[in-house]
Amino acid sequence: MHSIIQLFIKHGGLLTLVVVEVFCFFLIASYNPAQGQISEASWVRYSGTMLNWKRSFLDYFNLKDENIRLRLENSRLQTQLANSRIIEVPTLDTVTRKVLADTLENKLIRPEYLLISGRVISNTIAVGNNWMIINRGKKDGVQPNSGVVTRSGVAGVVRHVSDHFSLAMSVLHRQTKISAALKGYHYFGSLVWEGNNPEYMSLTDIPYHLPVKQGDTVMVSNYTLLFPEGHMAGIVDKAYREPGSNFLNIRVKLSQSPADINTVYIVTNRYAAELRQLQEEVKDE
Amino acid sequence: MNNKLFLPNLWRFIWLVAVQVVVLAEASLTADGYCNVLVYPLFILFLPIQIPTPVSVFLGFLIGITVDIFTGTIGINASAGALSGYTRAIILKRFAPRGEFSGKEPIPSPEYFGWRWFLIVTAIFLGIHIFWYFSMAYFTPVYLFEKILPQALLGWMLSMLVVIVLTRLFHPKI
Repeated sequence: MHSIIQLFIKHGGLLTLVVVEVFCFFLIASYNPAQGQISEASWVRYSGTMLNWKRSFLDYFNLKDENIRLRLENSRLQTQLANSRIIEVPTLDTVTRKVLADTLENKLIRPEYLLISGRVISNTIAVGNNWMIINRGKKDGVQPNSGVVTRSGVAGVVRHVSDHFSLAMSVLHRQTKISAALKGYHYFGSLVWEGNNPEYMSLTDIPYHLPVKQGDTVMVSNYTLLFPEGHMAGIVDKAYREPGSNFLNIRVKLSQSPADINTVYIVTNRYAAELRQLQEEVKDE
Repeated sequence: MNNKLFLPNLWRFIWLVAVQVVVLAEASLTADGYCNVLVYPLFILFLPIQIPTPVSVFLGFLIGITVDIFTGTIGINASAGALSGYTRAIILKRFAPRGEFSGKEPIPSPEYFGWRWFLIVTAIFLGIHIFWYFSMAYFTPVYLFEKILPQALLGWMLSMLVVIVLTRLFHPKI
């Protein structure tokens, strides 16, 4: 104890000064009106600034959580968007509003798509058949033969699923064939990759009489079970007719560059199995 | 602090507070009742050289708050006094003759160290005290160039004058 007092007497000057000055500031601000007003105003001003600093500091640590929350919200919104494009009301005007309102939720709007958000953790674009790995698997509800889209375009098709990951065929794969249509027409063709530039695909089977021009939108057609109907796929870069052909050669600039994919949504069509079964039945006849 | 040193310091305390609050506080040139001429820091400066820094800080606070009670500026002189109790230790250490005090000189007065040494030490000591005093009086850096620095300069010159006169008159030895 004695040595602590000795130590304080020898080196405690600054400590004493700080304690006494803090006390003096308190006295000045409490007993002098002018100084009190100044300190109050400063307190309000700087405490606000400091709270802001604290907020942004904490926000920085919350970024990751926030990102996950936003992805979940995005997948929910993308699901709604995909479903909203296929709302059809198969009734005539004679059906009263009441009936519509009652049945709208359950019958008429059948949510057809379910989108699961995920991240691409491995992706290739340089070889002939490209694959990507997504960090969502069987346990997250992913099934093989599900389409993979991003918010701005199409990315691929899931082929193999493990418990926690799925292996998806990129759009840059020779077997990829996406049923696509030009916006405004009901003619549809297939988007295929011919193995050259990873930014472009070709749209086949579009009849030559269609006035296709540069800048037209190419979207997923309603005949595919893999992708949400009407999802943006790309933009017409060049369209021309080979002599003697009945179809146009259309070069499509992909709206989602395959080289720049991070967040993806895996599309599950709830009626895919049913529809495929139906198609199988036709095949046998 | 033994009895031999205690009484002279107590007398200095009483007389300097009296001069400060009775004479000089009334002769203020500044608006808002703040003093231009401060002599009570002389008490802090003339404390025994060997006094520990925490004690000089506390005694500086004590004389400051005493002056404050009389002039109605609670905390302002106390803050400056406490700071002076600390800067005094640093200044004396920096200006110690031949690096260290021998212990023969009880207080830092011109009787022991000469007028030249005393004037330099007092000028720095009072300058810091008075600058801090006016900083506390205005309590915001907004007035630094407009009011704090000019008034501190004026107060410093007047206070130096009074301090020199008082020191010449009384020749403090202990």
